[in-house]
Amino acid sequence: MTALIELTGITKVLKGQQQPRTILSGVDLAVQPGESVAIVGRSGSGKSTLLSILGLFDRPDEGSYLLDGRDISRLPERKAAKLRSSHFGFVFQRFFLLKHLTAAQNVSMALVNGQGWLPRRARRARVLQALEQVGIAHLAKNRPARMSGGEQQRVAIARALVREPKVLLADEPTGALDTETGTAVIDALLSATTRGCGLVLVTHDRDHAARMGRTLDLVDGVLTQRVNA
Amino acid sequence: MRRLSGRFRSALIIGLQGIRARKTRTLLSMVSLFLGVLAVVVVQAGASIADKALLSDIELTSAVDGTTIIGMSMQPKATAVVLDTVHDRPDAVAMLGLAAIIGEPNVAPVNPGASPFDENWGGGMVCYGNGPCEPAAATAPPGQAVEVRLTAMTADVRPFRPLRPKAGQWLEFATMPSMAPRLVVNLEAAKGFERYKVPAEMRIGGATTNITPQFVGVVDDGDMQPRAYVRLDELNTWLPSANLADPNTGGEMQVLVSQGSPVQQVLTAKLKGIGAETWIETVDAKKQMESELKLLRLVFLAMAGLVLLIGVAGILNVGLATVGERVEEFALRRAVGTPRMLLAGIVLAETLLTGLFTAAVAIGVSAAGLKAVSVLLGDSEPFLQDMQFPWEAGIAGIIAGLVAGVLGGFVPALRAAGIPIATVMRA
Repeated sequence: MTALIELTGITKVLKGQQQPRTILSGVDLAVQPGESVAIVGRSGSGKSTLLSILGLFDRPDEGSYLLDGRDISRLPERKAAKLRSSHFGFVFQRFFLLKHLTAAQNVSMALVNGQGWLPRRARRARVLQALEQVGIAHLAKNRPARMSGGEQQRVAIARALVREPKVLLADEPTGALDTETGTAVIDALLSATTRGCGLVLVTHDRDHAARMGRTLDLVDGVLTQRVNA
Repeated sequence: MRRLSGRFRSALIIGLQGIRARKTRTLLSMVSLFLGVLAVVVVQAGASIADKALLSDIELTSAVDGTTIIGMSMQPKATAVVLDTVHDRPDAVAMLGLAAIIGEPNVAPVNPGASPFDENWGGGMVCYGNGPCEPAAATAPPGQAVEVRLTAMTADVRPFRPLRPKAGQWLEFATMPSMAPRLVVNLEAAKGFERYKVPAEMRIGGATTNITPQFVGVVDDGDMQPRAYVRLDELNTWLPSANLADPNTGGEMQVLVSQGSPVQQVLTAKLKGIGAETWIETVDAKKQMESELKLLRLVFLAMAGLVLLIGVAGILNVGLATVGERVEEFALRRAVGTPRMLLAGIVLAETLLTGLFTAAVAIGVSAAGLKAVSVLLGDSEPFLQDMQFPWEAGIAGIIAGLVAGVLGGFVPALRAAGIPIATVMRA
């Protein structure tokens, strides 16, 4: 079976400083459809850089990146933007909700991005469906200021899910939440894997990592498998 | 095409959301741009109004644009040829200029030579009954009489020269000729008849008798000399065509011919045939007007452009500050797949919409201002009466708003498109 994501020998060197620093060194990673993978590691170990490369925010200096068997390591920005829209959903530690927009409008942002056009009615239906998926459809008209942290992160998850991505990339999504709320957010993320969406979760939280199918340790730019207890 | 339409709509939706979210900043941008756009609108409106006023004045004193004026001195043969050629033609009218004295017989008119009433040009003629006229001699006793230039027309002159009615009515050419010729006088003549009470008796050299005229109306013809307009056929009752070219009074004759009419060619050929000297002029009012207004308009437009540039600097400043504030938003939009071009489009859409809103306000204020000026000053300045806001000024305002939007939004748009996507990862 073709892996959803297949990284081989990914290397990233941080330039522009006094001495170039290798952030990722020959990283190999394969993620299957519906699989959930946690990446753990110390601060500065390169987790976010790896996620940036996975999400096509950044390019590797060496190695290959296959998405659905297609090499996308050297994709021009225009095509990368299109792939980000069609294949990826992103959830960040800070929710990045626009405070002047309602929850529904924030979710709709992923649909009004210049990559195809949906009529207003169809857009609204997709947005409500995504909010429903994370259990906050009743908050559709609320602005972020009137929502709790957990609710705001769920809006961010709904925004990531609204285009029905193939891969969900989450960078410390529970970092700003209490344990109970964080668990609920992880539940929402895991529910997406049931319909074949791959999930890559970068986290410091061992408990949340343990709920993933696999946990990988990133130490000094090298990825190693950890056996979940 | 469909993709472009989707991006255009996306830019518009997000741009409007941005404007609604930052009302104060949008207002500040509009304030900085308002004076510039207003200046452009006012200059363009002023130029259009001046164009119309000047064109209207040129048409009043000369003829409508494109009309050919054929002039000649009045000789019996030439007069007969002209009257024969223009008879019953809608595309040409002959105007015969005569001297006429209205008032007491055998007296020197108060304005010899049909001079304006507040000036004295000297000279002029005194006509004795239906006999010959002589130069007004110093010995002629001053009396209650007014001398006017009399313009006798073969047809209605107004399609060629839009005289402005001021009182009463204009001459009716469709009716039977009246035995008492109907006169329409100009403003200067009306001033004279208001100032001097004279008997209604008109003397013209070559007339079979003194004529009793009817005054039916007053027009503004832009002439500083007192003048009266009359139907030629009504005058012919008392002044046969053979006597029109009176050797004592002389007189001039003009034929106004519409653009493209064959009358010009026929008439000049006929007049050449009898050896009559003519001068021909085609009215090109717009060209004349353009040369008069061009420099003035350029100077004012340059000044308006300068004010607009200051407005652009304002919108640029606010735009840069706004992009700086929205770095995370733009990075996030890129993360969810928004292309760089669309990010630039969003910023440009915001500044363009701001420019358009400003243009709408400036146009509204200008139109309201013009209406107020028209109401307040219309009585003293007739050309301001019923003045409509010129559509050219509206178009100029919209273009100025759009140009300012593009200029003011260009650099912020480039900045927005260049925001690194990793900003959201590092936050």
